[in-house]
Amino acid sequence: MSTSIPTVDHKDLMLSGSNRPFAALYGRNAKSVIQRGLLATKTSNASIMISGFVEPVLYLLSMGIGLGSIVGDVTGPGGHTMSYAAYIAPALLAVSAMNGAIYDSTMNVFFKMNYAKLYQNMLYTSLGPLDVAIGEIFLALLRGFMYATGFTIIMWFMGLITHPAGLLMVPAAVLIAFGFASIGMGITSYLKTFQQLDWITFVMLPMFLFSATFYPLSVYPQAIQWFIQAMPLWHGVELLRQLSIGYFTPGMLVHVGYFVLMIVVGVTLTTRRLRALFLR
Amino acid sequence: MTDPQAPATQRIDRSGTDAAVRLFNSSLKAHAPAESAKRARKFGTLYIAEGHLLAMRRYIDIIIAYSVGNPLMYLFAMGVGLASLVDANSANAFGVSYVTFIAPALLVSAAVMTAAGEFTYVIMSGFKWNRTFYGPLSTAITPYQISQGLQLAVTTRIFAQSIVYLLIVVLFGATGSAWAWVSVLIATLAGTAFGFPLMAYAASLEEERGQFQLVNRFIVMPLFLFSGTFFPLTTLPWFLQWIGWISPIWHGTELSRVFSYGYQEPLWLSIVHVLYLVALTFIGWHFSRRIFARRLEG
Repeated sequence: MSTSIPTVDHKDLMLSGSNRPFAALYGRNAKSVIQRGLLATKTSNASIMISGFVEPVLYLLSMGIGLGSIVGDVTGPGGHTMSYAAYIAPALLAVSAMNGAIYDSTMNVFFKMNYAKLYQNMLYTSLGPLDVAIGEIFLALLRGFMYATGFTIIMWFMGLITHPAGLLMVPAAVLIAFGFASIGMGITSYLKTFQQLDWITFVMLPMFLFSATFYPLSVYPQAIQWFIQAMPLWHGVELLRQLSIGYFTPGMLVHVGYFVLMIVVGVTLTTRRLRALFLR
Repeated sequence: MTDPQAPATQRIDRSGTDAAVRLFNSSLKAHAPAESAKRARKFGTLYIAEGHLLAMRRYIDIIIAYSVGNPLMYLFAMGVGLASLVDANSANAFGVSYVTFIAPALLVSAAVMTAAGEFTYVIMSGFKWNRTFYGPLSTAITPYQISQGLQLAVTTRIFAQSIVYLLIVVLFGATGSAWAWVSVLIATLAGTAFGFPLMAYAASLEEERGQFQLVNRFIVMPLFLFSGTFFPLTTLPWFLQWIGWISPIWHGTELSRVFSYGYQEPLWLSIVHVLYLVALTFIGWHFSRRIFARRLEG
């Protein structure tokens, strides 16, 4: 019986790192993270998905119709007179983009990070932290895109969009969600207990209440106005409100730039944190 | 030589069993088993409530932030900010300033929201995750007392939080009536009217599949938005007004407005508000007791 043992070249057993730039961070496979997320969505509770869409609609009905009949017409961007419902609707869209993104990137990510150990498992494979970050943020944005489209359709049915530029609210809402999702995920990586999540809601509430959502910023003293203008939600509200009536100003570039900066900082932070946490 | 610092076991060796039991009881200030059981049967509800209130100390920072921060932010945003728009466009639509109009409503809403928070995950946790409801069962404490004790603890929290809220309302100058303190009681009652039935529901659940999030989104939020909180219920179209009629927030808010600034409503309507809130509280109390007994003894 002849035995032929295959000869093994020693070099075949050696693992060598890729020379591709950022190879340690990005495995070029964010797609599989997205695929897994979509599969998981199938088995989750559909009514919870729908509920995220219902909330801003309820606010619009309650505040827009109920309070609107008391408040009457208000002065919008550029001195345009608009109904109260038309005034708050874009703001509610911005708030819902923020809420959805923060919910997805804090509560959900916290659970996956600390309880399901999902990211730990993903990073044991050829996936890098950037794949995980991109995949998770993409999923959050897909959801945000669907909510924003639905809400814009409702606004259109209620006659609250008077200018074709109002359609640009959908991509703008996704941009807002992107900014909040990327920062939110980075912050979540620092949290240790469920109770600390309450503090995030506690920071979001004043942003929701004070960012010119329900009334113009001019009611505040100058110092408070500056503070609110430094907060991200105000830029989102202003951007969407101006788009809803097709009032374009150079200031819009500042609003967009704010979120672009937020995205860059957030993705960098998240990637670095995931690497520090799981790839030591 | 008797050393008072000597470990108890050494003393047990010297003094025999009876003396050891006596020593053990006196040093830990515990009662004899029969006496303990008697007291548990008598004060079980209070013991359970004490336990839950002590457990709340773990998240006391966020409780305080919510109880003080929430009223401050809402009163400022709505009562000062939004009021500038409302008062400018339709001054005297309510007969009082806008902040006076919404302050009692916000007080009641906050109580209901706290109840919604305390009577959901905490209940499921006691049965399913931490199983804290099963510990007392090994004593003479009954399931009825466990259910009531929890209700007493949360009611206490709502009551205390409402007092803080009222003080902030007074600081905002948003109440003109000497009877405004009654709204603390009304808010607490509205909290129990919403919270106790919710507790019964939460106790009946075996699995967490997002039901509490749905309760929050499809019940608590609509009730908050359509209960005449920010504007009179009658300004809504008729097909949305029924939400207010079934809402503990609306009944509590209307009643609270009567005491806070002398809001005019027929006496029979005020009586209906009280009866409705008491009835819901009673129904919730009754069914949560029953469901607790079924699950803990079954």
